[in-house]
Amino acid sequence: MVMRPYSARPVNIKVAQTVPQRREEKVVPHAYPGKLIVLEGTDGVGRSTQAELLQNWLAVEGFGVVVTEWKSSLLISAAIDKAKSKNALNTITFSLLYATDLADRLHNVILPALRAGLIVLADRFYFTAFARDVVRGADPTWVRKLYGFAVEPDVVFYLKMPVEPLLRRIITTRGGLDFYESGRDIGMSTDLYQSFKLYQTKILKEYERMVDEYGFKVIAGDESIDVVQRHLREHIQEILSEDGTNDYSVPISESDRSAARSM
Amino acid sequence: MRLNKNHSYPGKLIVVEGVDGSGKSTQLNLLRNWLEARGLHVVFTEWNSSKLISKTIKQAKRSNTLIPVTFSILHATDFADRLENIIIPALKAGLIVLADRYCYTAFARDVARGVDKEWVRNLYGFSVRPDGAFYFQVPVEVSLERIANSRLPGFYEAGMDIGLSTDPRESFQLFQSIIINEYDRMVGEFDFHVMQATRPIHEQQMLFREQTAKLLGI
Repeated sequence: MVMRPYSARPVNIKVAQTVPQRREEKVVPHAYPGKLIVLEGTDGVGRSTQAELLQNWLAVEGFGVVVTEWKSSLLISAAIDKAKSKNALNTITFSLLYATDLADRLHNVILPALRAGLIVLADRFYFTAFARDVVRGADPTWVRKLYGFAVEPDVVFYLKMPVEPLLRRIITTRGGLDFYESGRDIGMSTDLYQSFKLYQTKILKEYERMVDEYGFKVIAGDESIDVVQRHLREHIQEILSEDGTNDYSVPISESDRSAARSM
Repeated sequence: MRLNKNHSYPGKLIVVEGVDGSGKSTQLNLLRNWLEARGLHVVFTEWNSSKLISKTIKQAKRSNTLIPVTFSILHATDFADRLENIIIPALKAGLIVLADRYCYTAFARDVARGVDKEWVRNLYGFSVRPDGAFYFQVPVEVSLERIANSRLPGFYEAGMDIGLSTDPRESFQLFQSIIINEYDRMVGEFDFHVMQATRPIHEQQMLFREQTAKLLGI
């Protein structure tokens, strides 16, 4: 059953007193034919690279794939960027803006794809918010309930990497450190390097806490791209093959095929 | 949750609630003038007016594609921004804050949209509990009559997004009656001061001033 904190369409109301209520405290597994595969991990760990490789691989294997990234909804991502550029966010507005982003993508991208039997690769999911918001001082229970509108993923891969190599990678590949990625908004240190290290260390701790809480599959992110990819594929293959009830052999459309071939 | 505890700031927070057409904004304006005339420093804030997000909300509403949960979190974001930037600093500075609508508006509207009651209360758990919450109560018919005379209700205002009816006026009537019902249920839950909004404006205002004076200790 999928968790819905609202009812889609109240029917038969002439004497309007109230609309049907659904009690949801906890996210429950979804019952859609598609699969929701989540890649989690802190900034610079290589999630997006891995997601792209997985997307190509799955498409070649004949699966319909949709990739959805954190903070990419049409509704709100521009507003988030604008607010961040002004450093105008406090803990709660920060949380809520990201929750809005996911709510929007959930209903416009993720759920429609899952209903249609596609594989959804989510580059970050609400676990990112659980880690970041809590480090920013939000109440862990509050944040978890906030995301109670979402669905539970079929699998969560946590790309794990110690903070030192992470720093080296970010500085070299991105040419510098970002204000929010370094937690400068919460005033950890005026030294950007120190601040980044302190902030990311706390984030890593929160992820670590969630490994058991949510049954993350931990993948060493400091291995080479190919090795990480191979691990991911092995796990995903297992998930797709153990799911006998869904007929993934149904061919995808011709246009998807040619798109896959052209990749 | 902060919403369930009394705050310890030196300032005071007075909020008004009620459906469109209940006259709450008129009453709050009169109260504000009165307080200012007495030389008190007053800060005023209203629903959906934050610099951060109110424009985004208005744009999103125009497209008529918001689902209730997104709608709900967007309004909470607006509220959180005003809370942190306007309401709490003012309370810390010992000022009187007057809020035209508060989180109870979301509790009424979002629940009327079918959003889970507990979920939305948790969502707004960061709110500061007001020193006084005045609920301007009107029967559905009166509210409808007041609004109907002015204009055709907007898409979300009429609850068209939840498919109560394809006719805007009928949808508005149904939606408005659900909202009033939700407000009425909250009277005990949040200790609302109930104002009979069908009484003459002057009479209501005198009562509003009297009760506010008591709360402010003036």
